[in-house]
Amino acid sequence: MAENEERLRRTMMFVPGNNPAMVKDAGIYGADSIMFDLEDSVSLPEKDAARLLVYEALQTQDYGDAEMVVRVNGQDTPFYDNDVKAMVKAGIDVIRLPKAESAEMVQKLDADIAAAEKEFGREAGSTHLMAAIESARGVLQAANIAAASDRMIGIALSAEDYTTDMKTHRYPDGRELEFARNMVLHAARAAGVAAFDTVFTNMDDTEGFYRETEYIHQLGFDGKSLVNPRQIPMVNKIYEPTEAEIKNARNVINAIQEAKLKGSGVISMNGQMVDRPVVLRAQRVMKLAKASNLVDEEGNYLEK
Amino acid sequence: MPIEQAVQTLNLNDPAVFKEWQEFLESLGISNFQANELQQIDTTLGIYNERGSLIATGSVAGNVLKYVGVCNKFSTQGSHFNSIVSALMNLLAQRGIFHLFVFTKVKYATSFQHVGFHELARTDLGVILETGDTGVDDYVRRVAQAAADRHLTPASKVGAIVMNANPFTLGHRYLVEQAARENDLVYVFVVNDDVSLFTTAERLALVKAGTADLTNVVVVSGDQYMVSYVTFPAYFLPTQDDAIRYQTTLDARLFRDQIASALHIATRYLGSEPFSRTTGIYNQVLQTELPPAVAVKVIDRQTSGDNVITATQVRRALAADELATVRDWVPATTYQFMQENLTQLQARIQEGMNINGN
Amino acid sequence: MEIKKTAIAGTLESSDIQLMISQADSGIAIDLQSDVKKVFGDQIEAVITTTLNDMGVTAAKVKAVDKGALDCVIKARTIAAVQRAAETTDKPAWEVL
Repeated sequence: MAENEERLRRTMMFVPGNNPAMVKDAGIYGADSIMFDLEDSVSLPEKDAARLLVYEALQTQDYGDAEMVVRVNGQDTPFYDNDVKAMVKAGIDVIRLPKAESAEMVQKLDADIAAAEKEFGREAGSTHLMAAIESARGVLQAANIAAASDRMIGIALSAEDYTTDMKTHRYPDGRELEFARNMVLHAARAAGVAAFDTVFTNMDDTEGFYRETEYIHQLGFDGKSLVNPRQIPMVNKIYEPTEAEIKNARNVINAIQEAKLKGSGVISMNGQMVDRPVVLRAQRVMKLAKASNLVDEEGNYLEK
Repeated sequence: MPIEQAVQTLNLNDPAVFKEWQEFLESLGISNFQANELQQIDTTLGIYNERGSLIATGSVAGNVLKYVGVCNKFSTQGSHFNSIVSALMNLLAQRGIFHLFVFTKVKYATSFQHVGFHELARTDLGVILETGDTGVDDYVRRVAQAAADRHLTPASKVGAIVMNANPFTLGHRYLVEQAARENDLVYVFVVNDDVSLFTTAERLALVKAGTADLTNVVVVSGDQYMVSYVTFPAYFLPTQDDAIRYQTTLDARLFRDQIASALHIATRYLGSEPFSRTTGIYNQVLQTELPPAVAVKVIDRQTSGDNVITATQVRRALAADELATVRDWVPATTYQFMQENLTQLQARIQEGMNINGN
Repeated sequence: MEIKKTAIAGTLESSDIQLMISQADSGIAIDLQSDVKKVFGDQIEAVITTTLNDMGVTAAKVKAVDKGALDCVIKARTIAAVQRAAETTDKPAWEVL
């Protein structure tokens, strides 16, 4: 697991890597993560051009606080090596490996990143990675994949290829993805990394999008992959904590501060000991509340 | 909203795809889908909207863009037009083709100019534009250099002849001689179309060989700028009469505005045309369009006995295996070439090469 | 780097620039078309020229059709076109990036 303080990853927006207009504007929609794609959205003759475009954009464009991710081409393609090198040199936050099916594939990426960090003088270990699970084999190996590297920040389910591999296709109710979603989620949680749900491609079905996002939120996914920035506020809305959750979280935070002031190692609230999961959840709720503009800097609830 | 609408390849051999494509273009006022236009198409691309309707298309035929049509209802500032043209250019680039032409309605000319195309000539019916790593300026520079290499420039009187020479006969030679006598420098442009019995390279070589003794004659390939006008795409014109008028006028203006002016050509020589109706129309159009910038001189065909010498007769003699009957109609160089390549030439005729055209 | 053949990179889509690079005997000649040529023409040409210089290209003909590209896009497309024209796409010039 990569050294990462609990970072919000509600939305990972896919941006075709060879489209200057989209690459340029990727930062303005407020996605938690921006994923430039060098793989499926780029045609074979344009692989070199997309790699260069993303590289140069990363040097000059301001993408704010977003976590910058690049999906490189698969290890079975002639583009993989140069993609990884270029992106490490560009100082990308995270390299996303498509079609991950084994821990070995992740370990190869880890080694290739390490070599590139050395070659280009980047701090060792500063480049993170994530893996996309896109096949039955990948789903069954999810736990090993998620735990395969110290650079790992998360694993993502990619449903288009997965459903094809499963000899089905996507349905509005998503039942065909139940097993995969649960496997990916459990693998991520067991390894202590993030879990990203797949994209929802039918732009016209807003209701369906909300339904699916509520469902994966309920399961416990960190967030969702997106192809349309219109979906970002929709996901954020669902990930907003309720007023009661915020109040409770504030009480926990206050209790922590009180304990600190007292120099006590034990946090208690209403006479009961507050254990670690409760603290973590409270911190996450406050982070979500701040990101959703539901509280001010001090954590005071803002009336709508 | 940045949803990418991918450019796709359309398979026009699929009747359903063809029907949708044709109906889409018809809705944009393109109505000519005759075989001679369609069979040249190598690849057709299209863009569909979210609802699966075709909203933009374009095709390539060799290095020519055609059947470009875009519905601008859903696009801002011609963005689909730019996407289609750029996809076609990238496609041609993969085939190593970087110099391209487009023939289109006048109203689309500015759209093409906006993406780097340069207008070569226009009529009220249509426009020819080009773009790429070379262009007409490079061409005239090469032609002028060929004359300079032989110390023929600067010349005060410059004439020009455009010929297919399929093959080069004494009739052609007579025309060249007349022009050579009346000018300091004569450019002979050999039409660049490999649709004749004699290939472009063969025709060019035979014209050069047959005029080698004429010291002020420079024989060059017509390259992309002097092709058979009937190859000009006219898919956007509804009638055959419109097509002929547009093709011949465009050809004449292309010569006048891009070739003659740059090479200081004052006179263009034509052979009289007693047989071919379309060539007759072409000659008439040249006489209307070229003056006053370029004078037109029509030279009567040379006769041999009672016969008017034509390349058609020579080809027919080849086909009938009676080469000796046309011995007096062609220069020795042409005759020798035909003798040496008789089997191959006859094989081409056997394989279906039309010998009755130009 | 030597221009071995004509190559093209980029598109005519908004925010992009289409660059065609071909052989020349000497010097760099840029034929630029842009809606913002009056204001940004010099800057666009400067980015192209600098990138060509950095890549060691001393002779080339460049035809550029700009559709409002940022400098980083112009640089990326120039590098892509040169690498294609020099047939070195598989061996990126890391030091130039």
